[in-house]
Amino acid sequence: MLESQILLQIAWTSVSTATYYVLFAIAFALTLKVAQLWNFAQAGIMGLAFYAMYAAMLGWNWPHPAGVAFGLAVAVAASVCIEVWGFRVLRGRRSSSLMIFIFAIVFAEFIAYLLTLVFGTEPQTLTRSIMSEVHLVGGIAISDWDLKALTTTAILCLALFAYLSFTQQGQFLYAVADNGELAELYGISANRAYLVSLVIAAVFVSFGIYLYGTRASMIPTAPLELMLFAVIATILGGIGSILGAGLAAIFLSVLQSASILVIPSQWQGSLTYFVLFVVILFFPTGLRLPAWIRRVARAG
Amino acid sequence: MSHTAPRRAWLRGLAFAAAAAAFGTAAPAAAQQTLKFGLAMPLTGSQSSYGKDQVKAAEWAVADINAKGGVNGKKLEMILLDTQADPTVGISAVNRLINVDKVPVFVTAWSAVVKAVAPIANREKVLELSIGANAPEISKLGDYVYTAFPLADVDVTAVADYTFKTLGKKRVAIMYINNDTGVEAARLYRTVFEKAGGQIVAFEAYDPKATDYTGALLKVRAANPEMIHLHGLVADMPLVIAQMRQLGIGQRVTTYAAGYNPQMVEKAGKGAEGLIVTSLAPNEKQNPNVGPYLERWKKAENRIPNGLPYTQYLHDAPYLVAALYSHLEKNKLPASGENMRKALLAVRTFDLPLTGKLTFNEDHTVRKPVNLVTVDNGQFVPLATVE
Amino acid sequence: MEYVYSVLVMIGIYTIMASSFNLIIGFGGLISIAHPIFFALSAYASALVNLHWGVPIPLAILLGTLFAAAMSVMLSLPSLRISGDYLLIASMGFQLGFVEVIKNVDFAGGAGGLTGIASIYSGPSRSPAFVVTTLTIAATVVSVVHWLTHGEYGRAIRAMRDDEECFASLGRNPMAIKITIFAVGSALAGLAGALYAHYFQFLSPEQFGITQSALILTMVVVGGMGSTWGPVVGALLLTALPQAITFLNLPPSVMAPLQGMLYTGLVLLFLFVRPAGLVAKRLGQ
Repeated sequence: MLESQILLQIAWTSVSTATYYVLFAIAFALTLKVAQLWNFAQAGIMGLAFYAMYAAMLGWNWPHPAGVAFGLAVAVAASVCIEVWGFRVLRGRRSSSLMIFIFAIVFAEFIAYLLTLVFGTEPQTLTRSIMSEVHLVGGIAISDWDLKALTTTAILCLALFAYLSFTQQGQFLYAVADNGELAELYGISANRAYLVSLVIAAVFVSFGIYLYGTRASMIPTAPLELMLFAVIATILGGIGSILGAGLAAIFLSVLQSASILVIPSQWQGSLTYFVLFVVILFFPTGLRLPAWIRRVARAG
Repeated sequence: MSHTAPRRAWLRGLAFAAAAAAFGTAAPAAAQQTLKFGLAMPLTGSQSSYGKDQVKAAEWAVADINAKGGVNGKKLEMILLDTQADPTVGISAVNRLINVDKVPVFVTAWSAVVKAVAPIANREKVLELSIGANAPEISKLGDYVYTAFPLADVDVTAVADYTFKTLGKKRVAIMYINNDTGVEAARLYRTVFEKAGGQIVAFEAYDPKATDYTGALLKVRAANPEMIHLHGLVADMPLVIAQMRQLGIGQRVTTYAAGYNPQMVEKAGKGAEGLIVTSLAPNEKQNPNVGPYLERWKKAENRIPNGLPYTQYLHDAPYLVAALYSHLEKNKLPASGENMRKALLAVRTFDLPLTGKLTFNEDHTVRKPVNLVTVDNGQFVPLATVE
Repeated sequence: MEYVYSVLVMIGIYTIMASSFNLIIGFGGLISIAHPIFFALSAYASALVNLHWGVPIPLAILLGTLFAAAMSVMLSLPSLRISGDYLLIASMGFQLGFVEVIKNVDFAGGAGGLTGIASIYSGPSRSPAFVVTTLTIAATVVSVVHWLTHGEYGRAIRAMRDDEECFASLGRNPMAIKITIFAVGSALAGLAGALYAHYFQFLSPEQFGITQSALILTMVVVGGMGSTWGPVVGALLLTALPQAITFLNLPPSVMAPLQGMLYTGLVLLFLFVRPAGLVAKRLGQ
């Protein structure tokens, strides 16, 4: 059972299905880092993006790129709205983090009900058929979807890395993440930084939900559950580390898939929560990456 | 305190008014003589696409019965409430049907709801007819709970026996969804198949929320089965099949009645060729009423219904209730839950338009022949019938 | 009448839930969404000890309540050591993990649910008896919460919530108070759960998900966080109102999501327009 081919196949598919989780986790970790916000409203943005794409691609028969662009536009617009009319208002009133949390999660649920009203609860995918071309490379099945997912995720992550490390606005995000008030004294707009982080998060989740929707079925309440994985990955990777969140997402996905070789399949679903308990009890600041990786990835 | 007291009183008044509205608007029962029964189905929620079609079939039946004069000249009245396939909502709905609408019998479906409302039916002595849910436990829920639909043991047993005896396959792998439907059915299949003399070479669960089944599928592939039995839901089964084919697992797949859904073929494409599904209702060739029924669907909705066999059973439900009422009328018995139950046990065998003969057994179960249907060139075609 | 009774019992149960949640989140300032889990843990515990070991029901309910309290300490102790925000995530993981575990455990009925739970009362006056019991217990719980939060202990809670560092520097232990409040609140939720189990006689894991948490949160926020009567008003309104709506005979495909939008829309509205809720705290509270 532990032949190298099986291990390689599991490793390959689990990494490729980790791609959308990586995107969700990075989005969540970014807003957490910059705005100190546990942004559960992200689930609402994910739902809006998916159904916008669904309406465009399967309702109005737009080609995929146009559909994705539409979904992106909707997600970004929604994020801007909740930042400007939601979070910013609450921050201005010095609301407690409890209130802000309640706002975020209730917003996500409101969107879920709204989407149920408009689109119903039948499981939907973004393509009529979910079979994609498969190539056999050394006995390992590699599908076109896998390649598409990995390329998209890699490009987005590299772009984010470049943005954060090499552009002025990106550096401003770090400054605000470190100390918002101090950054303001230097003329950096904290509000602008919060907005930018939410917009970047919207872009990431739009692509993430597109990948998810071309592989699995979606119902309006699914984003809240997908978010959980992102949250767990963020904690595992260390709060404040974007790279950590991404790596943790990959790690969890591989762990979950590979675990079937060791534990009975019916316990697979509970494994992620078990890991969460262990992390909360023993590694609350996250699993520390070896120092040399941390030095290299100062972006995290 | 002075300015807040009136405001608080007002607010409390508002709250109590809302509560009063809830109780007060319980409409008084209709005065004219109609024969009432309840129907509690998911009209919203994730199961609504099945629920709504089943309700439509039942509504057509009620209209047909009443057009022909009803029962003894009295009209049949179906009171419909939404359960969202959720136990708590179902409890509210059934409570209302029993206490506000005063029905002596009601029809419901979806195992969780059937189980949740069983205590109410038993306490209030109202006949609960479960039609469509298939958890084997349903036959043991109490004196007033009967199923008019064959429970899981019927079709899973049929498909397991067919695989071993007719198709001659001795090594089967089972993949199932890790929830109550999947777990019970998988265990049942294994018991039946092993008893017949076969061997279960792999027995793998997958999480309902999973999207990557590679690990379980590789284990199945390594076990080298002759056939694979898949027991999941329409949301995940096409995915599993798609990934199965992508990993080079080409064996034929069997599943149960939920697989009899055009979405399976649409989503899984060529991967669904050869898929065997079960159907617990007769098809066009076996029952002359089914053809016109399908025509009616094409004319009204331009498609075949979701879960066709289930809708056939729900279509026949009003006929079943009408037969019960007819028995009561004939024997001049008042319409109560107790009498409904007595009627059921007295009549025992019913001849229903779309599903044929139905007999209630002593142990609260019913048996029906199982039709096996396979996917051939993207279409569902009949394969065999197992008695 | 039976219908009205069951609505009244639900109001009683939700009042206990909302009031105890308010204790944790409104007075204690602890962010947790795992409240329904303690409800569930106690419901299952009480049902199972009675079912499998023949423990008499009142004792079973007590055991369920204590079990809920114990589990809450298991959750709060490690999480609060880190930070208050951490409790939120831990409680979320706890909630989902619990549902997963129950689905796999056969003697608790598995995913299909636990049937055949015994009822405290039986016979023709079952429902009125339940209504009286539940509403009496609910009234007691509200009084207990009121007493806890308005006496000496209440002042200590407020002091801790308003300025924890100062509180600690005075030699008081904020952790102990937080864990105690969490345990008391969770125990009360457990009480509600055990009552629920023995009234409805059926439990399934899907009844205890995030939707329940959102419902109770709405009751507390809309009713008025941090006030004694707020949660009662919230519970009453949000149990009775949906039932009233169903009598309006709207098309069903509109009704259920509309109800959900009603809950969440109300919370959003109140958050921005009237954060204090329907029943505002009295000044100085």
